[in-house]
Amino acid sequence: MTGPTGPYPRMPGGGIARRPLHFIILADCSGGMKGEKIQALNFAIADMLPHLAAWERDQEQAQVFIRAIAFATEPWWHMAEPQPVAELAWKPLQPVPKGLTNMGPAFALAAQALASGRIERRALRPAMLLITDGLATDPPGGFEAGLSALMTEPAGQAALRLAIAIGRDARSAALDRFIGDPGVPVLVADSSEDIAERLVAASLAVSRMSEAGADRGAVARRLLGAPADAPSRIFDQDTIV
Amino acid sequence: MATDSTTDRTTGEVTTWQVITGSARGATHRASGLPNQDAVASQHGPGGVVVAVADGHGHIRHFRSADGAALAVDVACRAGSQAAAVLAADDAGEEEAERAGQELARAMVADWRSAVAAQLEARPYTVEEQFVLNRSADTPVIPYGSTLLVAVITARWLVCAQIGDGDMLAVCPDGGSFSPVAGDDRLDGRRTTSLCQPDALGAFRTGAHDLSQVPLAALLLATDGYGNAQADEPWQPRVGRDLAEFAAWYDRHWFGPKVPDWAQRCASAEGSGDDTTIALLLPGKEDG
Repeated sequence: MTGPTGPYPRMPGGGIARRPLHFIILADCSGGMKGEKIQALNFAIADMLPHLAAWERDQEQAQVFIRAIAFATEPWWHMAEPQPVAELAWKPLQPVPKGLTNMGPAFALAAQALASGRIERRALRPAMLLITDGLATDPPGGFEAGLSALMTEPAGQAALRLAIAIGRDARSAALDRFIGDPGVPVLVADSSEDIAERLVAASLAVSRMSEAGADRGAVARRLLGAPADAPSRIFDQDTIV
Repeated sequence: MATDSTTDRTTGEVTTWQVITGSARGATHRASGLPNQDAVASQHGPGGVVVAVADGHGHIRHFRSADGAALAVDVACRAGSQAAAVLAADDAGEEEAERAGQELARAMVADWRSAVAAQLEARPYTVEEQFVLNRSADTPVIPYGSTLLVAVITARWLVCAQIGDGDMLAVCPDGGSFSPVAGDDRLDGRRTTSLCQPDALGAFRTGAHDLSQVPLAALLLATDGYGNAQADEPWQPRVGRDLAEFAAWYDRHWFGPKVPDWAQRCASAEGSGDDTTIALLLPGKEDG
């Protein structure tokens, strides 16, 4: 009888790894984003990533993977494959001339990526960050259909969803519906200069809210400026089927 | 490390089951000051061996889940030993073995709820705990929420029962492996079934396997901190192959320090970061 072959690992199996945290950016690339806004957004995303990478190094549980969907009249994968945040070099987004702000198809595209069997069973709750400068321009029923497709997927429903509105006019009930948590406000960037700051706040919120046992309401109050009387959802979280 | 013997009446062979366990506090629990909320226990009786692991849910709603897990493995060992004695004495067939799994689940749910009630009588909720209970509008049993995985091994039968996440892996000598209980699609990695839910009995998955037909090289029970740390997806085939090879090659005592080390590594910041508990059962044949 011969012994186990090869350089045998000390543990059975293919080794261990941190649990994946999938972070999907949904970036508005409609015509209204051209010029200074898209430049500011690209700068802000590139600036945000090191904050996420630093959190990844400091905490005890997750490995962060980034993907990005760009959307205008139609959505497309700007970064289709999950990229480890620590290794990611941001590829700038480009606006679509005269492109609309149809959000529903972008949600549906994200839903496909979060479908059962498409992400690891051991993955943590995904995080999604929607950034837009305008109101949704979906044809009737389009926004709802896309959001419904997302919420039909268990991972989509469980996802931590945040939104940044560039300009007060972009803040809308549609963004609140995307977030789906009255304790988590839409972050408003009043100007292009504010975008980077809001993205850092969002990334910090994503990281803190993803930690085991996190009180999302408390994080939202501390980092996102949620009102002090915003309801804490910690006691409402579904822990058992 | 503990051993127990079960005798196969048809061959006179004695199978000695060695039970090796390891449990480690998760790195995230360490960082947040939470204790290890897993529990593990085994019991050896005239009928066979029983092993149980449990994972207290950890969320603030389940603030007594470490107690819930400890109570769960305790009642599982007692109920499992009774089941083993019945199975061994009756020379049970397949139907009886299947029924034993269901009866085991029924007994464990009832006994766990009684044990929780007894503890609450002896140690009522504090003012702070009652505040959390009121805020979450939960029933008094919810704070004790825990999973439970139990294996009962007699000379002929492996009877298993499981509620909630975590994994059982039966490993054959050829390296093939299978889960001795059916899967549950509701376990999405974020929510789990639990002993504390109102319909806990219905959420139990049970299974019975004839060891004279399907002999095992090993049986692994683990809380979800183990599976969530595995890089492979699915991880079970390779773990099964490796365990079969380890079991064939190494002395059983080799596993003694290894299993706690595996639990420690899975619970670390390089793995799941979650509490991790492993129970490994290994058979060995001796003449009766």
